[in-house]
Amino acid sequence: MRQNRKYLDPAFLSKLGNMDLVARCAVEGFFAGLHPSPFHGFSVEYSDHREYHAGDELKFVDWKVFGRSDKLYIKQFQQETNTTAYILLDSSKSMSFAGDGTVSKMDYGSYLAAALSYLMLSQSDSTALILFAERVMKHIPPRSRRTHLNIILTALQYNRPAGQTNLAGVLHTIAETTKRRGIVILISDLLDDEADIFQGLAHLKFLKHDVIVFHTMDHQELNLDYEGLIQFEDLETKARMRAFPQSLREGYRKRVSEFLDNIEKTAGNSGIDYCLLDTSEPLDRALIAYLAKRKRMM
Amino acid sequence: MSFTEWIFLLGGLAVAGPVIAHLLAKPRFRRLPFTMLRFLRTGQVESRSRRKLRDLLILLLRCAIIVLIAMLFARPLLHIRLKPSESRSVHCLGLDNSMSMAYSDGSDSYFDKLVDSAVDYIRSARDDAMFNICALASGDWMQGLGKEQALAEVRALKVEPGGTNVSDFLSGLSRAGRAEHSSDNVSVLVLSDFTPNTLRQFVNVAEPAAVHKIDYEPIVSSKPVNNAAIAGAQVIGLADGKLTINVAVVNYGLLRQNRRLTAKTGANRSAPVDINLSANQRNVFQVQLDVGAAGRQSSVLPVELSLSDGDGLSGDDTFYLAVSIPGHEDINVLLAGEGGNRMFLLKTATDTLSRTSSYDALRIKQVSMSELAVSDLDWADVVVCSAITDRLGDLALDIESFVRAGGRFVCFVTEAVAPEAARQLWQRDILAALPGKYISKRMYIQPKPCDSRAPGVDHIAARSLSNYRIDKVLLKGCFECEPHPEARLLWQLQNGFGLVYLKSLGSGTSILVNTSVDDSLGSLTKSNASVAFCRYLLGESHQLDEYCFTRDERIVLPMSGRDQAFAGQEQVWVETCNGAHRRAVVAESSLLVPDPAGIGWIKTLSKPTIYAGINLPQGETDMTKPVAAELAGVMSRVFATGAESDVTEAGVVRDKKNRPLWKIFAWILILLLLAEPAVANRLKR
Repeated sequence: MRQNRKYLDPAFLSKLGNMDLVARCAVEGFFAGLHPSPFHGFSVEYSDHREYHAGDELKFVDWKVFGRSDKLYIKQFQQETNTTAYILLDSSKSMSFAGDGTVSKMDYGSYLAAALSYLMLSQSDSTALILFAERVMKHIPPRSRRTHLNIILTALQYNRPAGQTNLAGVLHTIAETTKRRGIVILISDLLDDEADIFQGLAHLKFLKHDVIVFHTMDHQELNLDYEGLIQFEDLETKARMRAFPQSLREGYRKRVSEFLDNIEKTAGNSGIDYCLLDTSEPLDRALIAYLAKRKRMM
Repeated sequence: MSFTEWIFLLGGLAVAGPVIAHLLAKPRFRRLPFTMLRFLRTGQVESRSRRKLRDLLILLLRCAIIVLIAMLFARPLLHIRLKPSESRSVHCLGLDNSMSMAYSDGSDSYFDKLVDSAVDYIRSARDDAMFNICALASGDWMQGLGKEQALAEVRALKVEPGGTNVSDFLSGLSRAGRAEHSSDNVSVLVLSDFTPNTLRQFVNVAEPAAVHKIDYEPIVSSKPVNNAAIAGAQVIGLADGKLTINVAVVNYGLLRQNRRLTAKTGANRSAPVDINLSANQRNVFQVQLDVGAAGRQSSVLPVELSLSDGDGLSGDDTFYLAVSIPGHEDINVLLAGEGGNRMFLLKTATDTLSRTSSYDALRIKQVSMSELAVSDLDWADVVVCSAITDRLGDLALDIESFVRAGGRFVCFVTEAVAPEAARQLWQRDILAALPGKYISKRMYIQPKPCDSRAPGVDHIAARSLSNYRIDKVLLKGCFECEPHPEARLLWQLQNGFGLVYLKSLGSGTSILVNTSVDDSLGSLTKSNASVAFCRYLLGESHQLDEYCFTRDERIVLPMSGRDQAFAGQEQVWVETCNGAHRRAVVAESSLLVPDPAGIGWIKTLSKPTIYAGINLPQGETDMTKPVAAELAGVMSRVFATGAESDVTEAGVVRDKKNRPLWKIFAWILILLLLAEPAVANRLKR
């Protein structure tokens, strides 16, 4: 198990370089680490037999069983419920922040997007990838072909963070342009106006999308564990501030905690699944959250 | 506020250093890209302001520290101008209660008059006046007294058997002047008979005492002084059981003295002498005191010399003289040498010694070694042999008997030691050391004996030897000696070899001197130390000694061999002049008595009893009246008053007070030095 969890460690994944390999490692490492899986897949496949009752459609009668046993049994199938997943990856400059210098939020989001894409496409779900900052920078439309994965992974591979965040605007845009409802997976640090963000998300919910928010945060963003005199420079606005972090730490943590609580509470109220991800933690929490959501959709 | 060393204030310019450093210094920080600046914003203002506050505080602290150090070096003084109402009247009274003040001209004594004068003076002072009283005899100060207390203290004063001690009075006065109340009006009153002794002490004062007002009153009689005193005594000798003492008697007055001088020891032994002295005459009278059997045994004899009644002061009519009597003993010294020439120098030195008063009777006989006979040993108390020859080996048994019976066997060793004779003497435990190989190497003697406290050695002779340049005596060679286990090494050569070994055998003593007669003894006896060295070898001297001290002397009693009972003790109980029992310290060969507590006798309470006489300082009761003009001149020189006093030099300021501020500055500096790192570290958080 520990060996398998290594493939979910973002620090390990960052060393792989190839996004395809990253996605495969993450997903397969994830499933290999699980106990007998409750997730049976969502494609059309045999599930069970039951006795025939009057009114059942004859096309589902298993004639081979009837030939062997002279009894009518109905073949039961797990109905395939193909859905469309829209993976929205925030590519603003703030996502390039890496507190300890190994895995940035962008890297972490990319690994997660790759893993999810791999997972979805292996289940024949149509998967779209939307990279955005102030606006949508790249939109890969939803496809369910396995080859589509390469397109997504290539896009992730060459994606570079730039620009400021305009999350609300982007969400409205996506809500207006997506024709088919599906799962909207937002991977972002949500560094925008909270009210605007939730207006955008509400817009998506209004259009019957299922929304999962993966809130990626760096460990230092959560805890501010720096020491000494530091000049902080904002990655997006270039604003500067000189301070002794040790003197601000307590207040900072309190305000961040309030911010996260507010987001979680608002998301809960809006029926949005919210998952806070620390970039120093493995990816499995995110994958579990997604699969749980997917199962609820069945 | 002013500064004594204002030039150091220029050091304050060093504050420019931290100020410039503060202005030029850029805070050291690291740049860090971050995303959530909006969550830091609230704390930013606080942090920056704290940092600025910290920098400013640290700068101020450091500047203050530099300025304070500069001011500290400049020695700041705070001038406090005092209101006239704040100054008090302080009266310092110097009251002479020395022995001379006990003089009476038939009416009241000088001291009674002094008390009356002092009481009048105190009563005439303001009610809020403060009094400091010094008893000039003891030097004791009674300070901070109110009027009634001062009157009580003055009435309680008594005449003390001693002289005046002006220096204690003046030093106490100077201390009072430098004290916090130095701005007070300090008035001084000196009441004394101003005897020549007292006046001399005032004359010898180097630095005047600054006071506001000086009063003095010579307490003298209008009548001619009638006083004679025993000024001193010296023991001349002891012969035929009679102790001869020269007694100096002085007529300090103007009246003729017809008195009787009596020397007394014990209850019934006295020798009176009628004396006759005209005005201011000093004369020496010889007294012969029959001491009887006491003169034949070793003891310390207390002799009290007294004048009959008849003058105004009886305190100086008695003189206490302790005489150390060694006991009568003839000493026969046998000098045995190979030839007359060899022992010539030693004989000369011993002859010289016999003519001093160190020995009662030192009879010398000289024989050659080959003619040394048993009869010679029977005659001799001390046998000095110039070499170890075969003849000594023949007489080994007799020499052993001689030593065991209390004889003293001194043996020099020469280059040609008869080894067989030496071995025989060694086997009979006579020799203190066995000479071995002769080392022909020039060598010097250690300046001082290494063991002068050994029994059988005259410690006075040992000490006196250290006064000679004995280390300049160059010896031709010496022997590698094997010391006897019971022997003591009394003296060493500078190269570590032994020079003199001593060994007790029975009740006698054997001494071996590790030199040759020709080369070394010759050198020794040719040196200035020859007589002292002979005395050292011949043993304890027998000399009359006096244990007589004045009241203000340090009492140090030399301890002779007779007093070896005290050896090994650290302290000995003694009875002082006032009958109190005190501990005296035994230091080397002396007995130190801390305070005799008056005049009279000091004696040890344990055997042997040692007496010491304590007397008045010479001239203490010289009642010569002071000349008014001379006294006025001395007083004006000793006490600087009013315009005469240089306030700066005297350190007394009348209308304002200079308080040194360095202590305050130093404390502030220490606090700042402690606060600086605390502030620097605390505000970083």
